[in-house]
Amino acid sequence: MNTLKLRLRVKHSEGALVRVLSVTRRRRFDLLQVLANATLDGAFLDVQMTVQAERAGNTLLSQLAKLEDVSNVELLAPKEAEGEAQVAKLGA
Amino acid sequence: MKGAQFLVQALEREGVEVIFGYPGGAIMPVYDALIDSKIRHILVRHEQAAALAADGYARASGKVGVCMATSGPGATNLVTGIANAYMDSVPVVAITGQVATNLMGTDAFQEVDIFGITLPVVKHSFLVRTAAELPEIVREAFRIARSGRPGPVLIDLPKDIANTIAGYEFGTNEKNEATPAPSPESISHALDLLRKSQRPVAYVGGGVGMANALAELKTFIETSGIPFVATLKGLGSLSTKHELALGMMGMHGRKAANHAVQECDLLLCIGARFDDRATGRLNGFAPHAKVIHLDVDAAEIGKLRHAEAPVAGNLCDSLKALTCQLDIEPWRRKCLALKESTEWDYAAPGSEVYAPDFLRRLSERAGENCIVACDVGQHQMWVAQHFHFTNPAQHLTSGGLGTMGFGLPAAIGAQFAFPDATVINVSGDGSIMMNLQEFATLRRYDLPVKIVLFDNSALGMVRQWQELFHDRRYSEVDLSDNPDFALVAQSMGLTSFRVDRREDVDAAIVQLLAARGPVLAHVIIHQEANVWPIVGPGKSNSEMMDEVTL
Repeated sequence: MNTLKLRLRVKHSEGALVRVLSVTRRRRFDLLQVLANATLDGAFLDVQMTVQAERAGNTLLSQLAKLEDVSNVELLAPKEAEGEAQVAKLGA
Repeated sequence: MKGAQFLVQALEREGVEVIFGYPGGAIMPVYDALIDSKIRHILVRHEQAAALAADGYARASGKVGVCMATSGPGATNLVTGIANAYMDSVPVVAITGQVATNLMGTDAFQEVDIFGITLPVVKHSFLVRTAAELPEIVREAFRIARSGRPGPVLIDLPKDIANTIAGYEFGTNEKNEATPAPSPESISHALDLLRKSQRPVAYVGGGVGMANALAELKTFIETSGIPFVATLKGLGSLSTKHELALGMMGMHGRKAANHAVQECDLLLCIGARFDDRATGRLNGFAPHAKVIHLDVDAAEIGKLRHAEAPVAGNLCDSLKALTCQLDIEPWRRKCLALKESTEWDYAAPGSEVYAPDFLRRLSERAGENCIVACDVGQHQMWVAQHFHFTNPAQHLTSGGLGTMGFGLPAAIGAQFAFPDATVINVSGDGSIMMNLQEFATLRRYDLPVKIVLFDNSALGMVRQWQELFHDRRYSEVDLSDNPDFALVAQSMGLTSFRVDRREDVDAAIVQLLAARGPVLAHVIIHQEANVWPIVGPGKSNSEMMDEVTL
């Protein structure tokens, strides 16, 4: 099982977040955590997701990248993901 | 101007000529606006047929197909057709009426969350919030539907928005964005693999036709001399009679095609997606091959099979860049010898109609420009095996979703795209009942669709599987209580006749092709006729069964 952390910028439009989560589920990635915040102008959502799967992370990445609402998606490197986890822990 | 009028004007600006649909409460404002439009509305008798007709129209014409229905059950009836278009990457725009915005979320009469229901089976979707955004939404919907890897787009329009009066200036339609070209690095790597290969095979999928890369494929194949196989949807991308055509691959593929793929050292996948019906057991598929995968959709590359050379980008550019001469004569000769030794045998015992031979004869008489819309089942595979195609747009078949009932509405869509074309629907006694009501649409518009209905009084493909893989434990496949299809057709205004002897086949085909209006040939075949060869479930394509091995 691979645990992956992804960062996305998604157009804040009808159903956009549901679409992202739906693709994640359908492609057999289990969602462990999701955090979504609207940008200040309300035009986008910044989304961070932690998922788990036996499949390679790139397969999810490429499926999400082709969604019309997704303007950017990246797989966080393990180190970066670890750093963000620590920030989240401190914040908590 | 009302929102509904904006919508119709926006559709006109997209060049829409035909909409397949069915009216109802929430979509009434749009139907009102259509009265004043030059767009032709085709009234089907079930919304599923509207979506499938739009799909068939799009496949045959290369244009975006449009379907429309009201909210609630009208919208849900479209879903199978939308999913069908999604699975086969067909550009369709589906417009649904919705209850008024103040009623949304209240479980109002005929309210259903069609936006939510269709999320997994659309390329994109819109819920219209204001009338002023309608023209922009329509423009975006058409752009998305036809760009890159095509697919269906839903526009859900609440009734109050359709009735709202608003102002809007139509802008100039932007040109579609160009599909990205492949990177020079990916081409260079692919060329390297290609030049080193001794036993290459091209595996041609439906993406070639969608990308309008038929000429580029022909040049590539004929320059390189690479033998090619086709998926169900790739058939006709290059003539199925081409010297280097080894036939369809996969579960019911031709032996020459499957053997060549299993033996090749390089598999050049062009606009295909390693679908399980094509590959058989994936880890036994093309076991000696490195893979070059060309696709406009980068998400398909490496999804199921690792590609040593991924080439993401438009297929026209990719094929042009990879065109080169290769020294593979021994392999080419081997493949062609294999093809010759595995030609179809049309001799069959008995005096009953033999469906493969019927289709071969029909193909010869119907000519190279006819369009064949299939349903799903044994007859679908027989068409793929025995009909000849010179263009993939001639062969309308539900590949991904496998939708029984696809054929007749798809044929209707194709006939509206090409009113003068010979359009044939090949169906079975199971499939035809799924959209039988569309006989009435044929009659209403006097469409000269020619229906060949193979009747074996059974759900043939399921029966075949139960025979071969379930120890002949037949479960719910008997259809011996079918109606008299010829009488049903007559009662709905079609010409019809019955064919049950092999000696009558040629005359029946002549009669079918000569008919001026809608016509049905009710062709009786043996209940135990099977599709051969077949790759069993969980088996690799090396393990094809044929009648002899039973």
